[in-house]
Amino acid sequence: CDKDFEQINTNPNVPNAVTPNLLLPNIIRSGANELVGTGWSIGNIVIQHTAKIQFVNEDRYLWGNINGIWNTTYGNLRELENMYTIASNSVPVQRNYQGIALVMKSWYIALATDCYGDLPYSEAILGKTGVTSPKYDTQEEIYNKLLADLETANGLLSPSNEAIQGDILFNGNALRWKKMANSLRLRYLMRISKKKDVKAAMQAILSNPTANPIFESNADQAALKYLPTVPNQFPTYTYRVGSIDEFRLSKTMEDRLKAYNDPRITVFARPTVASAAAGNPTYAGIPNGLDDVSALVYNGGAQNLSRIGTAYYIDGFGTPSDRELGIAQGMFMSYAELQFILAEAAQKGLITGDAKAYYEKGVKASFDYYGLTLPSNYLTQPALAYDPAKALEQIGTQKWIALFFSGLEAWFDWRRTGYPALQPGVSNLNNNRIPVRFIYPTSEYSLNKASVEAAIQRQGPDNINTKVWWEK
Amino acid sequence: QSTISGSVKSQGNGEALPGVTVVVKGTTVGTTTDGDGRFSITTSRANPVLSFSFIGFEPQEIAIENQSTLDVLLAPSTTQLSEIVVTALGIAKQERTLGYVTQKIDNANLTTARETNLVSQLAGKIAGVTVVNSPSGIGGSARVTIRGERSLNINANQPLFVIDGMPINNNVVGASGRNNQEADYGNGAGFVNPDDIETMTVLKGPSASALYGSRAANGVIVITTKSGKNAKGIGVSVNSNTTFDQVLRLPDYQNRYGQGLNGEFAFVNGSGGGLRDGVDENWGPLLDGRLIAQFDSPTSNGFRGGDTRVAGGAGTITPTPFNAYPNNIRDFFEVGRTLSNNVAVTGNNDKGDFRLSYTNLNQTGIVPNTDLQRNSFNLNAGYNLTERLNVRSNVSYIKNTSGNRPSLSYGTENIMYLFNCWFGRQIDMASLRNYWQPGLEGIQQFNYNYNYHDNPYFNVYENTNAQDMDRIIGNITLSYQLTDWLKVQARSQMDFQSEIRERQRAFSTQRFPFGSFRRENVNTLERNTDLLLLADKTINPDFSLNATLGGNQRSNKYDYIDVFAPQLTVPGVYSLNNSRVPVEYSQNKSERRVNSIFGSAQLTYRNYLSLEVTGRNDWSSTLTLPNGVVGSADNSYFYPSASLSAVISDIIKLPSAISFLKLRAGWAQVGNDTDPYQFSQPFSPLTPWGTTPTFGESTRIPNFSLKPEISTSQEFGLDLRFFQNRLGLDVTYYRSNSRNQIIFLPLTNTTGYSSIVTNAGSIFNNGVEVMLNLTPIRRDDLGLRWDVNVNFSSNRSKVLELTDGISTYQLASRYVSVEARVGERMGDMYGNIYQRVSADPTSPYYDPTGRYVGQVVVSGNGRPERDPTPQKLGNYNPDWLAGISSSVSYKGFNLNFLFDHRQGGKIYSHTYVVGREGGQLIETLEGRENGYYNNPSDPTFLNAPAGTYYVVPGVVKTSDGQFAENTRRISAREWHSAFTLGRSVIEGAMFDATFTKLREIRMGYTVPNKVLGPKSPVRNINLSLVGRNLFLWTKVPHIDPESSSMSGGTIIPGSESVAIPSTRSYGVNLSFNL
Repeated sequence: CDKDFEQINTNPNVPNAVTPNLLLPNIIRSGANELVGTGWSIGNIVIQHTAKIQFVNEDRYLWGNINGIWNTTYGNLRELENMYTIASNSVPVQRNYQGIALVMKSWYIALATDCYGDLPYSEAILGKTGVTSPKYDTQEEIYNKLLADLETANGLLSPSNEAIQGDILFNGNALRWKKMANSLRLRYLMRISKKKDVKAAMQAILSNPTANPIFESNADQAALKYLPTVPNQFPTYTYRVGSIDEFRLSKTMEDRLKAYNDPRITVFARPTVASAAAGNPTYAGIPNGLDDVSALVYNGGAQNLSRIGTAYYIDGFGTPSDRELGIAQGMFMSYAELQFILAEAAQKGLITGDAKAYYEKGVKASFDYYGLTLPSNYLTQPALAYDPAKALEQIGTQKWIALFFSGLEAWFDWRRTGYPALQPGVSNLNNNRIPVRFIYPTSEYSLNKASVEAAIQRQGPDNINTKVWWEK
Repeated sequence: QSTISGSVKSQGNGEALPGVTVVVKGTTVGTTTDGDGRFSITTSRANPVLSFSFIGFEPQEIAIENQSTLDVLLAPSTTQLSEIVVTALGIAKQERTLGYVTQKIDNANLTTARETNLVSQLAGKIAGVTVVNSPSGIGGSARVTIRGERSLNINANQPLFVIDGMPINNNVVGASGRNNQEADYGNGAGFVNPDDIETMTVLKGPSASALYGSRAANGVIVITTKSGKNAKGIGVSVNSNTTFDQVLRLPDYQNRYGQGLNGEFAFVNGSGGGLRDGVDENWGPLLDGRLIAQFDSPTSNGFRGGDTRVAGGAGTITPTPFNAYPNNIRDFFEVGRTLSNNVAVTGNNDKGDFRLSYTNLNQTGIVPNTDLQRNSFNLNAGYNLTERLNVRSNVSYIKNTSGNRPSLSYGTENIMYLFNCWFGRQIDMASLRNYWQPGLEGIQQFNYNYNYHDNPYFNVYENTNAQDMDRIIGNITLSYQLTDWLKVQARSQMDFQSEIRERQRAFSTQRFPFGSFRRENVNTLERNTDLLLLADKTINPDFSLNATLGGNQRSNKYDYIDVFAPQLTVPGVYSLNNSRVPVEYSQNKSERRVNSIFGSAQLTYRNYLSLEVTGRNDWSSTLTLPNGVVGSADNSYFYPSASLSAVISDIIKLPSAISFLKLRAGWAQVGNDTDPYQFSQPFSPLTPWGTTPTFGESTRIPNFSLKPEISTSQEFGLDLRFFQNRLGLDVTYYRSNSRNQIIFLPLTNTTGYSSIVTNAGSIFNNGVEVMLNLTPIRRDDLGLRWDVNVNFSSNRSKVLELTDGISTYQLASRYVSVEARVGERMGDMYGNIYQRVSADPTSPYYDPTGRYVGQVVVSGNGRPERDPTPQKLGNYNPDWLAGISSSVSYKGFNLNFLFDHRQGGKIYSHTYVVGREGGQLIETLEGRENGYYNNPSDPTFLNAPAGTYYVVPGVVKTSDGQFAENTRRISAREWHSAFTLGRSVIEGAMFDATFTKLREIRMGYTVPNKVLGPKSPVRNINLSLVGRNLFLWTKVPHIDPESSSMSGGTIIPGSESVAIPSTRSYGVNLSFNL
């Protein structure tokens, strides 16, 4: 009575097996989309790149659950696990795909742990083998693992291995993946430098550039260039104009850029509508964390506040120019950021090298990235001319500017270094503290209760003010 | 061959009886008596036995010996329980022999005061049946459940629909469009034409439906179609129905303040260019006629203020009076109109019969430019090829088209999102009617706000969700009478549906700036073929046997193709050829098969004691492991049932007041399989990156040892009648337990996966159904009769267990979380509530004085605080349901009405939540009774006059750990979003969903044929005035408590989300015969 039933119940719609190149594009795209999405809604706000004039809850630190990074990370860790396994089971073994899987896996879990703290990692992604309540690893354990994985990836990746397809980030260039692996190692070593002595590890990377290549120019950096049309546009391009215009240039950013006479303000923001109409285009920001009424009436209203720069939102949903596509990218890690990391490391004596030169290369790289010429007198201004006495602040501040709308990296740095010095939002609802963490998703309390509670016991209360390990 | 003719009369008053069924026993030859009670029948049998049957009379069998004429007197039935009921597989049985309860609706109850969706018509008429309509207006889906929610899969709780013994498809297919394109295209059973239905019989419990095996767990609704069997010669019947629909209920909007913020507003470009003119909320200036520039104010260049994109600019706006338009939203809605016309031709002779019917339904909705056109053709015909061999076929063709079905869900595509939440109270709806900017027709809409919203007229006229569906439901049955008591029957039925849906979005739509076009093609097929051996044998004067043995093969196919042009090149050309970017597409096809064998036997002793046993075994393809998969296969499952009926009043002598007493008891075990392809873990294609394809793994972990679900049930009932049946009481108690439910158990996504398929759960369900029939007045001599019927039901479902380590399972989530928790009821809803002062010393909100315990805790900024642990907020199931109907007839006049009452249950209203945020609803005057207080240097309203701020009732925790009354003042706007803390506290938006509706009223007159005269070609003229849903009594504010929300093809009860308003309808029905 069940003749042919095996055949009938075989799914004809989709494959049960794929090759790594079919998994890779979405792993890259969804990471970039998440950076842009959470960067826009929270990252820019908390680090005072932008500020809100309407629906001001985030800007007043009334943060509920912010689950995007969590969900994207674990969804992609699954795909990365699949990709790594498929590559490992191939004959011959596909070492480049293994390496890429480790690089992306490390990037994802670092992003998530920097937001949440302790996380399931060693027991994560084992649903199919019956591990349904993965324990939370400490952030320290996670960092140990991801740093080791990145080192392994550096060893696996090579242009002489198999060809890489489906690589929408580096177009199959294994060397650039290798450079990303080592540049990320420097980023994460610096991140934990308050807790661990990272000197030897950092120096070891730099001392052998042949074995451990890093980004050498903007052309190397890990940035996803979006396509000009839907459905693969820079995510904010498809937002309603009203939703975009709730976000304006932050006064913190305005003040800093104006103080330095920094032309990057013309990329980050637009002249106010009122000033442009009056034929005298000027830029103006709004303080972060105003209450709703004050935010809407500040400075006479929206007409007198700068909107986000044209590269990040095209009015009338037009097609972005090539220059705009080159600015509004999914920034995994920039060359400028690497230079500021090296500057800080050199200044702190973690590596040998010329801190000033790194600092200036970082600034120059940022200007280059935005298609701007570095004004000859920019770095000679008293506030900006490299001064070892206040170098860490100078580096931190320039890094903060260069990380405009690049996800959450500037927030992580501020939490570690305290640069730039920020004031909490004016009418904040968090007892005058800038948040330093996301809370765990509510679903963890119903689906993995014992594990999440053990993590909280260890780490501290599950709120936005509990510092994660590397920040303590 | 011999011909026997004669007449049939009533034994009581001697009047001729038309329509009596006359059958030559042991053959398929039959006829009915004509208008004068006469019949004529031809048979080749020697000494045939003729059987006579007619509703309301005792059946009679007469052996013929050389007679050629015969006059028969039928005795009126004393019990009325010789009534015939259509049971599982379409087998007719005497109701008195059934060990389970059924309930029936006849045609007049379906066609006179009608609903477009047949399923909606069940509301209030059947005890134990709950109907929830989708939030979509005309022709939308309806969800029906019988005896509560049994399965943890919220979509698996609907009964099976059966036409003439064979199942049809009742799916809601792909109601969820992606990308803000959710619309409801109707549920399968909703397309059945009520004009072709003779009766609908509800088999409520598994005992009644066990022969349908794996689909029987939730009861069966058996539809018997009209045929020509009871016609005499050629006859024509006509039914014409015209009804008008109006909005039943709209929210109570405030009309004191218009669009804007902080009392300020002036339009420049509707996008933030003016004074608060990007704001879409009603916290603006007083609507006192002051002059303010508005979107419809004239400009110096002769345009409207909102003509922002016209060449050369619109010019300077001349301010116009800022006034309220209290009826602006009501004015948007139109009077809906439904014309339904049916003509049917019937014919009958002793060789065969037919009925050919055509129905045209032409409907326009209350939402402008929404419509439904349905043409239904039905041919039901039977023919006696020989005296023993009969062939019968019933074929319906349904053509259903709609130019536009309303968009649903919370988002810009739904007009109710705009109206209930964000629409300016100062907007004159007429100003939006001309919805293009001049010179930019087809390219740029004209609107009052360009930041977030679409012009509602533009939305309904340009952004349409069209449907074009063809459906054929047909069966053919061959039956051969082997002996007097044994018949063999083969039949096959097909339900094929092919549907095209096209969604157009015009240029300048908020979510689709370059427009878009989506075309979906949905094909579904269900085919059932069965072979039955049917026995009906009187063994001796004491015992008779009714038995069935059969086999069935069921086959389902589904094929769905979706192609989407996300942007268009040329405005207004809705074709995939016109895509500006590569089209996106997806396809899903599936197939399932179930093979079955089954049998039943009913043994009746002296027509008062009956025992019926049934058994069925199913083999399902969906529980079969595919090639290459290792696991433990269990695709075969057996369902037994037994039921007993005893007519006590025939067994022992009862007091004379009791005219009838029957007891019944039934036990059944039924089960369920699952959807196709649960044994695979595929990789699905994702949106490609340009031309680079990409895939992702399914996030559901399969289970390779899945077992079928099993539900065991019992029911006990009594049917008690007094005073010659003028008072009748029918009570049923039932209980069931469902185990091994196939659910998608959610996992923490840190496992990499979202759920695992598993067998889990034990749901206990029990309840009571009461039907009370009362005939207070019955004066046959005066032609006067008054009947009252009451249906009452109450059901409780409890979760006994889920699975190891799991105590909570989320069934659905839409603002509230519907969860099954061990030890709790099915249908419980969870969400966050306010933090309250506690009497528990371990709580951080402990008040040792006890004085403030239970009060809401307010934080230092004047807003209530949230209790972080979600709490139970109520259950969406009613405590009980009741329908009360009354029918008075006097000679040709009749008056019927039906009240429908629902007691208890909770509903969450998203309209209430967001309508307060937006300053739309009447409640939002609280805190601005005396206007706004604009003093930026006094942000805490310390010196504000009363009526310009709000103080949240509650207490604050002081620095010394004590509590004190909250005195912090906040603005009206802050309060009306803080009451849900930005939609994170659900408590303030839950309401008691109790309501009473005047569901139906019918007032009619049948012109006596005597008045028309014997020569009149027109007979049986009936004219009725009808109304449905005329009045609603409820304490739920703003909305119809019957509202639901819809998500991905699932109607979610207990959660309202900006539903299209329900309607009240009234009209006229005319029917006559030719």
